[in-house]
Amino acid sequence: MRGPLKLEVWKMGFVNYLEALKLQEKLVSDRKLCRIPDTLLSLQHPPTYTLGKRRTDHNLLIPESELKNIGAELHYTQRGGDITFHGPHQAILYPIISLREMGLGARNYVEKLESTMIELSSLYGVKACAGKKCETGVWVGERKIGAIGVRISSGITSHGLAFNIDPELEYFKHIVPCGITDKEVTSLRRETSTALPSEEVIQEQLISCFARLFGYNTVVQKENPSILSDHEEIA
Amino acid sequence: MALRMWASSTANALKISCASKPHLSFSRCFSTVLDGLKYAESHEWVKHEGSVATIGITDHAQDHLGEVVFVELPEPGGSVSKGKGFGAVESVKATSDVNSPISGEIVEVNSKLSEAPGMINSSPYEEGWMIKVKPSSSSELESLMSSKEYTEFCEEEDASH
Repeated sequence: MRGPLKLEVWKMGFVNYLEALKLQEKLVSDRKLCRIPDTLLSLQHPPTYTLGKRRTDHNLLIPESELKNIGAELHYTQRGGDITFHGPHQAILYPIISLREMGLGARNYVEKLESTMIELSSLYGVKACAGKKCETGVWVGERKIGAIGVRISSGITSHGLAFNIDPELEYFKHIVPCGITDKEVTSLRRETSTALPSEEVIQEQLISCFARLFGYNTVVQKENPSILSDHEEIA
Repeated sequence: MALRMWASSTANALKISCASKPHLSFSRCFSTVLDGLKYAESHEWVKHEGSVATIGITDHAQDHLGEVVFVELPEPGGSVSKGKGFGAVESVKATSDVNSPISGEIVEVNSKLSEAPGMINSSPYEEGWMIKVKPSSSSELESLMSSKEYTEFCEEEDASH
């Protein structure tokens, strides 16, 4: 039986995509060296389109030059998955965890990320389910409410999941989301008749679902999490 | 235990006299592990034949990944270092780095994988091979796990969780 599992949660608020990426790279390196425990970043991004390792930029339907006009950035990443959009009112979790210590392969890890979003949806009476083969993500009927894109490097994860609480869905019209044509994108706001609490509460619930599904028995919150590491802070 | 002994003796009975042809041993988790190959803890295999070593990922690895939809490989002529990444596979929206069990010069890459990445799932030890390398150190090869050690390693990994 494995020992007690500790998760350190960083609640980061609003973070620029590239800065979050740099932070993740540092944390992955620290986690590989066992300098830090399993870590979970909880945050939101300003309007950002991102591509995965396959660089499927044919799924961006407007010219890159147009993106500034709509107030969005574009980034190429090493994660799996196709093109997606991140923006305000979309809850993002980036787990930096050791899959080897947890005894999970990629497939089981992704299934648990799907379950995290499915469980959160159910708190609001929304019946979501995992995608069928080749449609990884979380769906309410034919409408996608949560997306996943992950990178695993020497057994350590980065990137993660994005759950639509109430983002501006118009932004999704400029892409073929996740490379899947003829399927809509939706949000918790659209799918539930329950009144939604503050986003802070919903993000906290998402973190709880994650911690429970992954079997963490100790969850601590990092005080004053910042993009700068302890060594980089200006004196 | 009894099953493994039976499987072992059956495999021995079926063993082909040509030493370079690998044969099967069975692990409790029913992933295939081939004799005659060497294995890394990060679930890559190495087949050393003469001056060339072929590298791929194991049946255990492909099973835990899910269906592979994309494979990123290096160019021939480049080099690999033991324990460092040389490429990646994508499955279920996850890209997983693949590490080289040994150091050396890349002499060939399996270009068929760009058209048919699923070969890694259907034939991880044969058609799903990823790169061929001229090893720079024989001691690195010797320090890898045997099929028996790798089978036990997988069983421990799966059992402890």
